[in-house]
Amino acid sequence: MKARVTYARGVIDRRELLHAFGIAGASTILSACRGGTRVVEHKPQVRDEVRTWLRDAVAKLAAVYPVVHVLAVSRRRTTAGVDIVGNGISRARRDGVVLAVRDRDGLWREHVTSELTALGVAAAVRALAGRDPRPARVTFPAPPPRPTAPAIPDEVALEKRVRAITQGDAEMNSRIVYAAALIDLDDATVWSISPQHDREQRLVRVRKRAIRAAWAGTRPVVAEAERGWLGGVDDFDLGAKVQEATAAALLLTTPGTFDDIEADVVLDPSVTANLIDSGARAIFTTSAARRPEVMRRLAGDTRIAASLVTLVDDPTVPNAYGGFDFDDEGQVAAAQMLIEEGRIVGVLGDGGKGRGRRPGHVGPIEAAPSHLRLAAGTVAWKTLRGNGFLLEGGQQAVFDPTTDRVVISAARARVLQNGADTGRVFADVELVGTMASLLAGVSGIAKETEVVSYREEIDGEPRWRSVEAPYVRTRGVVRMRRRA
Amino acid sequence: MIRRRDLARALDRKRVADWVIFESTQDIAIADAVRSEKPTRRREQRVRMAFVVHVDDSRGRGSTRVEVASQDEDVGELVDRAIELALATIGPGWKSVPASAPAKVALLDPAIGKHDVHAIATRLAGSLHAPQPATVAARARVTRETIVVDTHAGLTSKWDASTFEIDALVGDGKHSIAVHREARREADLGLDATIASAAADLALLAHAEPVKSGPCALVLDANAFLFDDTTGVWSVFATQADAVLERQGLTRYRVGVPVAPGAETVDPPLTITSNGALDFATRSAPIGEDGDAIRRFTIVERGIAKDLGLTPREAALRGRDPNGGVRNLMISPGTWDGSLPNKRTIEVRRLRGLTIDPYTGDASLELAISIDHLGAKQQTFTGGTIRLDLVAALSRARRASTIIRRGAYHGPAQLLIDDTNLVV
Repeated sequence: MKARVTYARGVIDRRELLHAFGIAGASTILSACRGGTRVVEHKPQVRDEVRTWLRDAVAKLAAVYPVVHVLAVSRRRTTAGVDIVGNGISRARRDGVVLAVRDRDGLWREHVTSELTALGVAAAVRALAGRDPRPARVTFPAPPPRPTAPAIPDEVALEKRVRAITQGDAEMNSRIVYAAALIDLDDATVWSISPQHDREQRLVRVRKRAIRAAWAGTRPVVAEAERGWLGGVDDFDLGAKVQEATAAALLLTTPGTFDDIEADVVLDPSVTANLIDSGARAIFTTSAARRPEVMRRLAGDTRIAASLVTLVDDPTVPNAYGGFDFDDEGQVAAAQMLIEEGRIVGVLGDGGKGRGRRPGHVGPIEAAPSHLRLAAGTVAWKTLRGNGFLLEGGQQAVFDPTTDRVVISAARARVLQNGADTGRVFADVELVGTMASLLAGVSGIAKETEVVSYREEIDGEPRWRSVEAPYVRTRGVVRMRRRA
Repeated sequence: MIRRRDLARALDRKRVADWVIFESTQDIAIADAVRSEKPTRRREQRVRMAFVVHVDDSRGRGSTRVEVASQDEDVGELVDRAIELALATIGPGWKSVPASAPAKVALLDPAIGKHDVHAIATRLAGSLHAPQPATVAARARVTRETIVVDTHAGLTSKWDASTFEIDALVGDGKHSIAVHREARREADLGLDATIASAAADLALLAHAEPVKSGPCALVLDANAFLFDDTTGVWSVFATQADAVLERQGLTRYRVGVPVAPGAETVDPPLTITSNGALDFATRSAPIGEDGDAIRRFTIVERGIAKDLGLTPREAALRGRDPNGGVRNLMISPGTWDGSLPNKRTIEVRRLRGLTIDPYTGDASLELAISIDHLGAKQQTFTGGTIRLDLVAALSRARRASTIIRRGAYHGPAQLLIDDTNLVV
């Protein structure tokens, strides 16, 4: 619930770029992704050894508490970056164990330790169950097979792949004042053990990213290409997105401003994704539903959007960046419909409802989306264009469930007339309205979709999620972010 | 687990120019009563050790910061790899300044004593009450930590610190307001006033009506301008006082020059001090993250840019002493008595979004709850946007004579900004 000041993404300048990506050297590009701190890698953990510690912990805790769940994670992060000054690579590692129990009064207790060792787990058990408890007789299911995982390239191979991101960018020219490429790998092995289940998953999350910056007058224009997925480093590429980012950075925008205007707008998938992501987190979780205004919305007339809109959260989608095999409470992943043809039909929940997620797999539990999919339409996106604006380059969305007001910022707005692009492009715009009006105003959804991945850190621990979104036509107030 | 002493010995054996080791032993307790369907008590015990290494060679100096994981065993390998990484980041050379005494600052709530953080968190989460008909549910997080810093020069510094955090959801059955407070001392949370203020704002929502866009004066209450963040709108000055950027000639802020045209002529002119040695402030510490002693310095003096936050590297390059960077902000009070100007005035009670462009200082304030004052008439409304050149607006703002202290902020309780424009 903590509010934070946000610094406008996409309006950063050379000064900030130098600061973020390294005045002293390109290796500090890693610090932009919080990869600058390096945890020296240790010998790989033996999974069966970990299972033994955890099963022992479950057996001892089960002797005292009626409900027991033990979650352990061994997580490594490798980040490789190349920018115009040089390159750098960092590795970080963090382990953790969460012992969660429910006592006979219904109170949940958790004990968390950063030590994934026999001694560390034993000490955590003592903290909850007292000194040397006698283990309960627990018949554990057979251990799951070792999760298959893609090969993680070594540092040299990873650096070659980062360089490959920028090679072949035909749009590059001397107006680009800053260019960077990045590959970010989060490799987590998660064990979830209770008296009823024994699960293990290996989640290798990959993000590839290219950044381009050019000056337009006294202002910089920064454009990014990014793609995230679950799987191997070579499973997907940024492809033409890199050139599109370069072209977007080099785009000369129309000088001057326009007056605030209510108009038809076509949202590109990145803008749609930000709208869906902010709305889903603020409305469609059991945490959000504690707010009376959200509760009322969920309980009353459940029509929230035009009948074209169907939204599902599905962690089982292959390669989804936010996907998983089981949540951080050990519940097996399953799709959850949230909006069906405009009507609210579900909410994401923890406590056995399949969306109990912990930042970094060890933080406090919370209900959160995994991989949201806004159902695609059947028409080509260009047919959505009429009179109004095409908003491109989603930056951020601020949504207030109390007032239902949402402000979505985008890198640029193209002016459309009679279904054609007029050539006029304004930088840094906002779409403003209520969530209800924007969703109810959806009058077209295209068949083309893109996936946007999100990685944000809370108290130093990451939260991963993704949104698959199409082009959407709706109606709202469009205005310039910058003053004349 | 590698011990601090072994790490120090290993670093001393290597040819490194300078090093600093940090070890933080944290005991964290969380009591969550917001999740009424699943009340939770959480205890987290963690040890985090990190070290900073500076390595010199003929090309200059390279630096790195390395975290030590709990399972690391080979201290020699750890140090070797840190040195390799530092050598990969070689930049212009600089010399470490001699170690100076850590700042004397109290960071541990004396009331915490030997009490168990778990019991404190549980009591805090259950102790909040809102005036009828409002209700409140809270999550309390209490951290007690011991930090030890060893430096190459042989200085060892150890201190204890406490942090209290409250996330509360105040509701009246129709609407709700989420509040966050963070303090070093439990008493500084000001929970009763915080909850009462949220409940009062909730009551305002019942009478909210749409208002029109247009020119207005702006009154920002502390809940709005701090936006529950440590320094809120004032953080724009921390960005401007970044020495790295200033050396590149890339800041709007120039030492010795007014921060905005006319800033020095305001009565009284704005003075901002960074004080990292303020007892019980959230950004206080005896020693910074680079092993440098924290010092108080003036960022803006009577409207004129005065000094910059200096890391050890920046300080060395400038022949100065490091000051630990911008920490807690102390803003000089003004003389404004709270009387409203004789024109349309928007009093902002709470924000729901604050976006600052670090290059220009331009900001978008998304209003959550506000009151439109026009003469004797008052109208509560929700929503709306105010756009400001924050550096100019804050340097010319009329500041209340009443001082509040919250988290990393110590300054006027209210601000009045003339000549702005409400967009709804």
